[in-house]
Amino acid sequence: MISKFNLEDSFEQEFKISEDLVEGFTKLSGDKNPLHVNDIIAIDKGFKSKVIQGNLQNCFISYFIGECLPVKDVMILYQDINFKKPLYLYDVLFLKVKIIGIYESVGLIEFNFKFINQLDEVISNGKIKIKLTI
Amino acid sequence: MKRQEIFTRVSSIFREVLEDDSLNINEKDGADDIDDWDSLTHIMLIVETEKEFKIRFISSEISNWNNIGDMITAIEDKL
Repeated sequence: MISKFNLEDSFEQEFKISEDLVEGFTKLSGDKNPLHVNDIIAIDKGFKSKVIQGNLQNCFISYFIGECLPVKDVMILYQDINFKKPLYLYDVLFLKVKIIGIYESVGLIEFNFKFINQLDEVISNGKIKIKLTI
Repeated sequence: MKRQEIFTRVSSIFREVLEDDSLNINEKDGADDIDDWDSLTHIMLIVETEKEFKIRFISSEISNWNNIGDMITAIEDKL
């Protein structure tokens, strides 16, 4: 199973920050901080509009690992994320993921990732470690 | 590399992965002897060991380890 992965293999996935998505995440997380739901307050703090909850990107990571890899028999062991720039409604994010380590002995694969928006700005980056479950 | 040096570096890995700066290990210790050495931390111990010594194990090589001494012997064999 681990042979389906090679060092420096890369993957890409596109995500659109739609109203439905943001509404769903706000409901799920319960995070209704004014910065996330009120344009006037966000603009007053120096942003161009309300800032979408950055952890929405963690949901995209979950989707990517669970649904987009060559195998489904995986579980996330570790994930970190650095938020670099604000995320806004209607942004288009491109998730770019690269394999940086493969450990056959324990069935672990290590990835670097970054989310880039439609302006080619890095919105976040981080690391993921997954374990193959077969 | 001498066995003692390997042991010292392995000790550091255990302290880091298990997040316990005061942890003292010895070669006879196995997973039952060290708090928080469970199946998930075991994975991270192996991965960090492979990174530290720039070696790679295969699953059959690690499956027979009973204690830290076996681990250090396996590292010695790879260096």
